[in-house]
Parts: sequence; C-alpha cells; structure tokens
Amino acid sequence: MPRYAMTIDLSRCMGCRACMEACKVENATPEAHFWMYVFRFEEGEYPNTRLSYLPRPCQHCDNAPCVKVCPVGARYKREDGFVLTDFQRCIGCRYCEVACPYGVNYFHWKEPRKAQYVDWGQDQGTRQRAAGQSPPWRKPEHEQRHGSERRLTVGAVHVKGVMGKCTFCVQRVEKGLEPACVANCPVRVFEFGDLDDPESPVSRRLKQSPHFRLLEEVGTQPRVFYLNGAPPSAETRQFYPVKGGKGA
Amino acid sequence: MLHPDYRHTRYVLHWGYNLTNAGGNKLCWITYPRQWLEAKANGARAVVIDPRLHGVGPHTDDWLPVRPGSDLALALALCHEVISQGAIDVEYLTRYTNAPFLVGENGRFVRAEGKELVWDTATGAAAPFDQPGVRPALEGSFVVGGARVRPAFQVLKEHLSRYSAEWAADICGVPATAIRRLAADLVENARIGATTVVDGVAVPYRPVAIHTYHMAQQELGFQTVRAMLILMMLLGAVGAVGGQQIDFTWTIHANFAKWDTIQVKDPPYNVWLESSKYFPLNSNNSAVVAMVLQDPQRWGVETLPEVMIVHMTNPVLAFGSQKDIIDGFKRIPFIAVIDAWLSKTADLLADVVLPAATLEKYEGPSSAGDLYLDAVAVRLPIMEPLGESRGEIDIYLDLCEKLGLLFGTDGYLARINQALNLKDAYRLPLDRRPAVRDIFDRWARSQGLDEGIAYFERNGVWVKGKVPPTSRYGYVTSPPFGGVRHRLYGESLLRLREEMRAKGADEVFWRDYTPLPEWRPPTMERSPAQYDLYLVTFKLIEFKQARGTQLPLVAELAPRQRLWMNPATAQARGIREGDEVWVESHNAVTGETKRIKVRVTLTQAIRPDTVGLPHHYGETARHPWTVGQGAAAAELLFTGPGYVANTADQSFHTKVRVFKA
Repeated sequence: MPRYAMTIDLSRCMGCRACMEACKVENATPEAHFWMYVFRFEEGEYPNTRLSYLPRPCQHCDNAPCVKVCPVGARYKREDGFVLTDFQRCIGCRYCEVACPYGVNYFHWKEPRKAQYVDWGQDQGTRQRAAGQSPPWRKPEHEQRHGSERRLTVGAVHVKGVMGKCTFCVQRVEKGLEPACVANCPVRVFEFGDLDDPESPVSRRLKQSPHFRLLEEVGTQPRVFYLNGAPPSAETRQFYPVKGGKGA
Repeated sequence: MLHPDYRHTRYVLHWGYNLTNAGGNKLCWITYPRQWLEAKANGARAVVIDPRLHGVGPHTDDWLPVRPGSDLALALALCHEVISQGAIDVEYLTRYTNAPFLVGENGRFVRAEGKELVWDTATGAAAPFDQPGVRPALEGSFVVGGARVRPAFQVLKEHLSRYSAEWAADICGVPATAIRRLAADLVENARIGATTVVDGVAVPYRPVAIHTYHMAQQELGFQTVRAMLILMMLLGAVGAVGGQQIDFTWTIHANFAKWDTIQVKDPPYNVWLESSKYFPLNSNNSAVVAMVLQDPQRWGVETLPEVMIVHMTNPVLAFGSQKDIIDGFKRIPFIAVIDAWLSKTADLLADVVLPAATLEKYEGPSSAGDLYLDAVAVRLPIMEPLGESRGEIDIYLDLCEKLGLLFGTDGYLARINQALNLKDAYRLPLDRRPAVRDIFDRWARSQGLDEGIAYFERNGVWVKGKVPPTSRYGYVTSPPFGGVRHRLYGESLLRLREEMRAKGADEVFWRDYTPLPEWRPPTMERSPAQYDLYLVTFKLIEFKQARGTQLPLVAELAPRQRLWMNPATAQARGIREGDEVWVESHNAVTGETKRIKVRVTLTQAIRPDTVGLPHHYGETARHPWTVGQGAAAAELLFTGPGYVANTADQSFHTKVRVFKA
C-alpha cells in the first residue's frame, strides 16, 4: 500500500496561479472554490521588500481534524493517505470547515449550474452547444467508487449542500497520472508519490532539500512538505488575494 | 529583445522585464522561467532593475528601484563605471565593432576610397580598417589630412566622462554606491579574456547579460536600449558563452540593407510617416497612425486608408492613447475586425466582425525552439470551430476568392507557395481552393517529413536537433557575427539627423538622433509639480494582452482593475487599501489632462513616487464578466511628441496625480 505525499518547492514557485486553474478545470469546482490556492506574500518595507509565494492544497493530514469531527463519517482517511469526502453521506454541517486549520474546505452553497461561470440554464446558445453532453460538474469518470474502501468522493461531482476540497486528484492518481496541479506547473514546483518508495520523486526531493510542514505545532501531520523555504511569519502580508466569483 | 544565454550565464540584469510574467518575441514565459531556475541552481545571480518588484522577485538577489524614464541615465553610468575600471574587451571592440573607426570633428567617419579608416599603431598612420595586419588604436587623438580625428571608442569615452555614478544617482533614484557595485559585479562576472569550450568549440566566455523586452517603449527608449547594448559590448559579452543574445541566429536580418539606407523624403508621406522627416526610423506605431488620421495635413499625409482589417488585436485597449485610437480610427470609412470575441475595438469601430476560431484551427508553423534545441510546432484543431467562427486562414482564402485575388500566377495561393517555401512537388495548384489542412500537409512534406502534417498530428512538436555553438555564439559563426561590425558608434543616426534638419523638421523629432546615447530629462518631467507621481503600466500573468478579461476562469483570479501604490504615498494622501481614487494624467506638451477612477491596492514593491496600472481592463460592457471591471490604462496615456520615442515607438509613461474620489 503506497503512502502518498506531495512536495512543493518554494524556490521554484513563480506565483502564477496556473495550478489553481488546472485544479479547477480538472475538478470543475464552482466559483469561489479554490481547492488549490496560492498565497502571494510580501514582507519588509520599501526598498527592502521581499516577495514569496505559497501554494496550499489540502494537506491530507495523517491526524486530520476534519475526519475526527465529521458526525456522519463522510470525511474519511484512506490507507494510502488520501483524505476524501463521500458526497452521499455528507450532510453539509461544515464542521470540517471549522476544524481545519488550513482553510481548505468549501461548502456548496448553490446549485452547481448556478455557480459555474456561465449560465448553463438560460443561455440558448450554451444549451445548444452543450446539448447531449454531461455538464462539467458531473464528469462520469469522477462519479465512481474509489480505492479499496470502494467509497464515493466529491471530485468533479458537485452537489448543493455538501463540502468540497482537494482530493489530490484521486481520479487521476488511480489511473497512474499525476494530480492536475503537479502535471500542469510550468516550472515543476510539485512532486507527488509514495513516501515508502525511496526512489519516488517525493522521497528523493525530501532527501535533497530542507523542508517544513505548515502549522507543524498543531499536530495534524500533513502529507504536504514544503521545500527550500520558510513558513509565513507574523510579518508576512498577503498581496492580491483571490476572493472568487466576480470579486469586489 | 535582449536575452541571456541562460544555460551558461552567471549574472543577469532583469531590466524592466518580469521574467515570470513576460514573454518576448522569441520565447514564451514558460521557457524563460525554467531556464532561469536552472541557471540559479548553477549559482547564477540576478538583479531586477525596475520601478516595481514583480513576479520574479523571490528568485533574484537584488532590486534596484529605478525612477521611471531614467534607465538611459543608469545605463550610461554603468558604461562610464566599466570604462573607469579599465574593464573593456579590447579584442572584441577592435575586431568586431566600429570602435576603432576614426571620427572627424564633424562626427562622421573618416574614409578613403569609401573605406573607414583606423589608426594603425604598428605604423603610426591611418589605414583602412580591414587592412591585413593592421593594429587599430581604440584611444587617442590623431591628425589625418590636417584634421583632428579620434577613434570612436575615444569619442565614447570622452562623451561618457560626465555620466558618473554620482551624476546618475540623483536622476535614477538609485544610490551611487549601488550603481558602482553593480558595475563591479558585471565586470567581475564578465571574465574578460576567458574562453570556454561548448560541444568541442572554443568560444569567448562572458557570462553576463541583460534580459529586457519593450524597454524601447518609453520616450528615450531607443537610445536606452542602445546604451544597454553598448554596456554589453564594452564587456565583450555580445554573442559570447553565457552572454548577451539578441536573436537566435547571427544571420543578417533581411531588412538590414533597407534600414541602413533609409532616406528622409519630402512629403507626402503615408499614414505611418514612413521615411518622413518626423520618424525616419519607424516602428509603425498604430497610435501615431491614429494621430495622423486626425490631422493628416499637419503631417504631410494626403493618401488616407479607406479600409482597415483589425486582426486578432484590440487597439482601443492595447495601443497607448485610447482617445487618439478611437478618434483616429473612427475616420477610416470601413473597418473589419477579425476576432474571437466582440472586443471593445470591434464593438466601437467595426462595420463587420468576422468571428475567428481560437484553438479550433491549424495555425503555424511556430518556432518551439529554446536557443539550444531547434523545434517546430503547429497548432492543431481540437474540434470543429464553434458557432459561426472560422480559422483565419479560411477567412483570408474567402476574402481573396471574392476579390478575385486567390488564383493565378500572382494570386494569394502563389504567394503562399513562396512564403512557405513549398518544394515543386508540393506546391499548391493555383486554380483551386485548398483545404487548410492540405496547405500544412504540403508544407510538412516540403520540410522533409514523409508523413506530412500527420507527423504533427501524432507528435505535436518536431524536434529538429541541437543548435550547434557555431550558430548560437556570434564569435564562432561563419563569418563571425554574420560579417558585420557592431555599431558602438551610430554614424547613420547623425546622417538622419542632418537630413531631418535640412528638411525643416522641428527639433523635437531630431534631437534624439545622436550617434552616441545622450541623456536629457524626459518631456513628462515638464508637467506641473502637482503631477508628482509617475504612472507605469504592466501585464498581469492572469491575462494575455488585451483580449482576456472576459474569460471567467482567469477573470476570477483578478476581477478588478487596481492602482498599485506604495503605502507611504497612500497614507500621505489619506488613502487606504481599497479606496476609490481619481488618477489624472497630464500631457506636458499640450496641457491636456485625462482622468479615470479606480480602486487602490497597496504594496511595498513599488517606488513611493510611482503608481502602477495593469493593462487588460476596460473591456466592453457587453460581456457579463467585464461589467464594472474598471478603466483601461490606455485611457490615461498620450501619443505624439513627448510621448513617443524618436522611432515613433509608443511610450507608456506619464506623470499623474492621485487623490481620493
């Protein structure tokens, strides 16, 4: 059984946010949902300004607070490390959102077709072109039971009233592909693989580079390792945050 | 575009260039960042020279926040410092540039029988520059034919003597110590005299370079880029390993002879003012065309265009002064716009819109090389065109057919045969309309690919092979640098200046036609004191140029126009994050002012005397995602004297004042 993890090389990240979009296209997330998010940071005062970037997917913690608090067992931790959400069990109580210290959870407030950038219902031209096709928020390959647990997960299956978050692209990994963010990054910031395989890209990167995990002190035991950088400090300020939707 | 030999470089200046956002006319933004990260992993260092610290910031070692419009002063000071330190590549300058050519008191080269002369230190006399065994002097003052002459390098050295680091510091807002340290770092890393072996070929090794693009698009931009190149020439870094590249090859540009013999003509001129006494060196600025259309008589233009096709571009947002673009282009009787969206240009100005496909077409061939590998790509259609849109090649085939220009020995199809260099066996027949795929198939077969276009349909990219060092490094091409001497001294500029003056052009047009770059304060500095901030503009990584803010996925990442402002500057004006402000620009020549309202975002990554506006915004209100996005930077910009370079190139600088709305 593999022990999946992700490494994120902060000395390579350019803050382009293409990973946020690759995730969105693969998983058809609604407006204002960013299962991958990239912080753009500033520190210091002119002219000694320092910029940095921090991609933040779900951390797929080994000691996941979201799994502990889920009252119906919809949020579950797999043997191989993935933390996923069964959209049939989820009751949308949002306890996971409260419990998670990383802010990776998103509640589906709306009918998907009303939160997907284009008005799929009303626009005749769009209806014509999309006729006979599965809408993007219900990709057939995502609507399957996954893993040895044979459980469903929210991927590109979006349902009003349930929670969504990064799945490490379970539907891709099971086909031997890399998560969308990993595959898409133009400068190879991410690696994904098996910690128990010493030759896997994640194992090799961890051996080569100094690394840290976010909020190590709260004991969540993330499966996401940050290479060649430092965690944000009290002096770090966010610049150009993405609020989502048509914005302010 | 000036770009480094990244694979071997050790010290790079990202000068007005945002490596993580920007493209270039050579490589896209994906390739350069990868190359830079590899260079960094090999110990290379970089300095950002820009009023704003942007995307590449985490990946560079230092930031010199230069005052907008003052890059020329900084470049001149760096040249001064390098010469002061005695760090010049004597051999490169002597053998491969016009640095040793003798200049007379009139600023022209001294010639005998049409050949430029040098001072031969071996014989103590003047000699033709290419005389076998000649040992030219770079410095000194001599007498030839009773007149005092100096090598061009000597002229440069004396010219630069006043452009010290102290002199530049006040102008650029960069401390003299930082300028001197930068010069010292350049000299140390340039390793003048070193050679190295690449793929078995010994080549001079000068691992310093400037990465810049669009630096020419400011009022003094032309001479600024010349000064930057002169700096690299002094260090011998042009065409060296790890050094300064300009293009991908060192073959002489097809237009070189034409540009070298530009004549300043009498009116009437065409709408671009080609060969005019105003802009003999001419970069074909559409904003200048718009300016001319508003008052053709004033510019000596009689023949005006009757039809304009706007092809996959959005001039109303992109081309500088929006007001001039609209007022000027409005006067063209018929405008057709080919685009994939109803852009603001199409909405305001088009008589006919021809919808174009984006990804649903064949397009190319495009270079997919990266300086080290030679490769070609062709865009392949992923599906049938949406709605009524069509690939542009089909659109042009249609137009030509209806105009009766498609067939026959001088028709459009014949021109395609020529432009694509189709071999005889694969030439398009001139009497029937081809399918677009067929054109590409014939091209691919002409290239030697037996499968034709199917090769690309299977593989995407055709990797042709490694680029040998003898192609990449000018020193070892055959002949070196294509056989021309690099022009440290721009004699042709003096010639053009004299012709412009003789034809009665106003000083504002010929004053920057100087053989060596000369500093003067930019015209915008004459705006009244209350216009106390510089406006700079830039691209956001989320969008590409002027036709993307209606794309919901990326618009969601940056949904609103924002004025980037230093917090100290904002505080002094009682402005806080998110406040709405007026930004008012001023034309120092005409006194005209323009205004927009915009919300502010605060950042420590910009000079306190500078505010920044991204391009991209200001699109039409017809698309639900662009409603309320905010104003276009182009609404504040000007064109014409003071706001274009001596080459008609558009400036994207102006002075502004900012106050709470």
